[in-house]
Amino acid sequence: MPTFRLLSFVIALLATASAWGASAVSEHQLKIVASNYPLAYFAERLAGSSATVTSPAPADADPAYWRPDAKAVGAMQKADLILLNGADYEKWLAHVTLPRLKRVDTSAGFRDRFIRIENAVVHSHGPAGQHSHEGIAFTTWLDFDQAAQQAEAVAKALIAKRPELKTTVLDALKTLQADLAGLDGELKRITAARPGLPLMASHPVYQYLARRYGLNLKSVHWEPGEMPPANEWTGLDKTLAQHPAKTMLWEGPPAAAVADKLSTKGIASVVFDPCANRPESGDFLVIMKRNIENLKASFQR
Amino acid sequence: MRHDFYLAWRYLRHHRMRTLILVLCLSLIAALPMGLHRVLDAGEYWMTRRAEATPLLVGARGSSVDLTLGALYFSEAGVPAIRMQEADRIAATGWADPLPIYARYRVQGRPLIGVTLDYFDFRGLVPAQGELPAILGDCILGADAAERLGLGPGDTLASSSGNAFDLAGTYPLKLHVSGVLAKAHSPDDHAVFVDLQTAWVIEGLGHGHAETQAAPTQPDSPFGAATVGRADAELLTYTEITPENLGSFHFHGDPATYPISAVIALPHDARSATLLRGRYLDDKSATEIVRPLDVTRGLLQNIFRVGALFDGILLLVGGIAFLLVALVFALSLRLRQREIETIYLLGCARLAVLRLLLAEILLIALFAGAVCTAVLAAAAPHASNLARHFILS
Ligand SMILES: [Zn+2]
Repeated sequence: MPTFRLLSFVIALLATASAWGASAVSEHQLKIVASNYPLAYFAERLAGSSATVTSPAPADADPAYWRPDAKAVGAMQKADLILLNGADYEKWLAHVTLPRLKRVDTSAGFRDRFIRIENAVVHSHGPAGQHSHEGIAFTTWLDFDQAAQQAEAVAKALIAKRPELKTTVLDALKTLQADLAGLDGELKRITAARPGLPLMASHPVYQYLARRYGLNLKSVHWEPGEMPPANEWTGLDKTLAQHPAKTMLWEGPPAAAVADKLSTKGIASVVFDPCANRPESGDFLVIMKRNIENLKASFQR
Repeated sequence: MRHDFYLAWRYLRHHRMRTLILVLCLSLIAALPMGLHRVLDAGEYWMTRRAEATPLLVGARGSSVDLTLGALYFSEAGVPAIRMQEADRIAATGWADPLPIYARYRVQGRPLIGVTLDYFDFRGLVPAQGELPAILGDCILGADAAERLGLGPGDTLASSSGNAFDLAGTYPLKLHVSGVLAKAHSPDDHAVFVDLQTAWVIEGLGHGHAETQAAPTQPDSPFGAATVGRADAELLTYTEITPENLGSFHFHGDPATYPISAVIALPHDARSATLLRGRYLDDKSATEIVRPLDVTRGLLQNIFRVGALFDGILLLVGGIAFLLVALVFALSLRLRQREIETIYLLGCARLAVLRLLLAEILLIALFAGAVCTAVLAAAAPHASNLARHFILS
């Protein structure tokens, strides 16, 4: 009998200890804030269940033009890691108080390869007011080689914060980079079939994509949901005279009227979603694969 | 025995003035050296604790004492500025985490300290009321600063108390108090903290313009060089940062060249600390690295030397006072000759007189001890402030 009582006591002790251990682990879950969805996706894949990843910008806002209020900043201050895209993506950074030691500029490694945009036009984005794309092109992750470097920066930051996760993070990084290299290879293969094929873009966000994959891309400044005014269409005609594009890339599906009007000019509307915000379904990889599939048709036509 | 004390007490009561003076003299002579040691101990505790918690400090080459006092204890003297890139350099080594500090300005007599948010984590400072600064123009007050200024979350205070010698012309910025820090019993209690970027706005390196809203013109050709002029009509700079004008705030030039006072370096381990210190061995470099603990130890040694001198003087004064008290008793014995004779005549032993005297001395010593303790107890809460006042500034 005493042996049994001792045993049950030990078991009870062990159970409490393990429960305490489990709660300690969940308490130590890393809180990661990512300023856009691609970074959040990288962090989720690299950290797995050892982190909770959030993005501060609401689902319906473009994180590139969103501005945090005091409450959002307060929430970000409580994070263990703040993943920033860099390349002037976080225009609000100079206006808020965030811990510097927790900030990770994921594009710092290829800072010297940023694309500068000069003479950009100011244009309106509906209710959000006007903006211009002057400065540094920031859709860095559409160059999947750069995306892999950003993923690596995320991995390094994770390991620095949690050295015990090193092997799991590095393994996850390997598969993630393999996926990104797959996208990179596929796009290179597709675009190599018809180098210099003229293309149009509805918005100047594809600079890195164009550079990496040698796209002959010209851009208007249109929004998917808005019918461009007449002068935009005459401008487009002028461009098409020297740049006979048969495809226009869109960040999201354009309004039917716009797509119809474009198709009368022989231009097909193709969605290439930069995926700056979390998609309603699928993930970064799924969306990018779909993008590449969408683009593929233009190169095979 | 009880009768001795009763008689002694009656006697002392009868000669009130004499007793009072004796008690006061004795208690003060005892309280002074003890109080001084309290202040010194407070200063030592306070300085070493802070210095121990701050492993390495990088600042302009020059006086390491000034650097330490300026960056750790926010002394009024100030520290020559270095550039923000010093912090980046330390981070780039991978050996230490940098905590830049900009302690140049004062606001209503309080040190205005520009830090990064990491500083609060590092010093274990948490808001007792309100929140940490979140937006440009926010500040958070140390516990004592909040009490003295009578401010709390939601209040504002103007950044500039007019720096008459500042020719660069900093303009006042209305700071929004986002919170009050819990008491830390350290120099942080007396300071007003802002984000480094806010400190640079106060410095005039960043500002917001009133922009005339150019009509959102659609250019003729989307591909041409048509740029929309953003006429900076009047260069009206804001003196308060509001959600409406926040977007217009911007910085000019390279933030790496912006001024800071010092960088606290938090090495990851002992090896990193050694490596980092090796980086600053070059005498020609404009910056130096110091170990605040070494500096404060040197400083404290000087203080204790002064303390020992005081002790010597006070010992002398105490000896003289003792002799004076003895003289007072001897003289009073003379005066009490007739009284003593009466006691004999009443049939008391010679010893009784001695016992009476002893009782008197004991009572006086007891009173003096009580007064001394009361004085020390009353002064104790101020020991740390006195230490701060006399040792640091
Ligand atoms: Zn300006």
